[in-house]
Amino acid sequence: MNVETSYSGSTAVAVVDGRIDSANAKDFDEELSAIIDRGVSSLVVDCGGLNYISSAGLRVLLIAIRKTNEAGGGLALCSVPDHIREVLEVSGFVRLTKVFATADEARASFS
Amino acid sequence: MEARLTLEVGLDMKEPRRVVERFEQFALEHELPMGVTFKFQLALDELLTNVVSYAFEEGVRDPVITLDLQLADDRLEALLQDNGRPFNPMRDAPVPDLDLSAEDRRVGGLGIHLTKAFVHALSYERVDGWNRLNLVQPIGAHREDQT
Repeated sequence: MNVETSYSGSTAVAVVDGRIDSANAKDFDEELSAIIDRGVSSLVVDCGGLNYISSAGLRVLLIAIRKTNEAGGGLALCSVPDHIREVLEVSGFVRLTKVFATADEARASFS
Repeated sequence: MEARLTLEVGLDMKEPRRVVERFEQFALEHELPMGVTFKFQLALDELLTNVVSYAFEEGVRDPVITLDLQLADDRLEALLQDNGRPFNPMRDAPVPDLDLSAEDRRVGGLGIHLTKAFVHALSYERVDGWNRLNLVQPIGAHREDQT
């Protein structure tokens, strides 16, 4: 897994790729927490390069959703591959966070 | 198409990934559809992660976790066995309430929820101090899912 983040004021886009499971969910949590701790309240997680996520990764997303909601912004996802989208649907995460086609659309939803 | 693979799983949080990646390789070798591979891999990952995390007390003697994969007659089967504490995921895992808000949601039980949703048939038995979980996934039924 790799996370590349670009910042614009209190909004950030984190491009995540690879695999998130119980072996590295802690690293993912540290990455997202560090972004939010920099004062980001609106976080877009770009899942275009994400090829695997288990419930351990969903737990990290849930924590980030809570933190960004608390900060008055929120978390949005974009570019989600179909098989990852099915995981989000089955786990009810599509009701907790919005899913956009592109990072631009996701970012625009916060303005 | 017939094949078998038996894997021993260590009591370590890095093991589920190693094992499911080995399964992924097995699936590739036998040209299983990607959709079948992904769902089965996720189910194995969730179940193995549960076993590695919760099945054994700290400092337990001789923990054993094994996974047998079998591919035959257009179906994929897995038998996951461990000699840890009794745990029937179908009965003992908390059922997540997917209607709650992010603030009220708990993630406990989500892995088993995904497993149940993604695996065609899942059965559990406790035999002579062993948890035995059997997973069955038809392959043909999923072929049309593939693009």
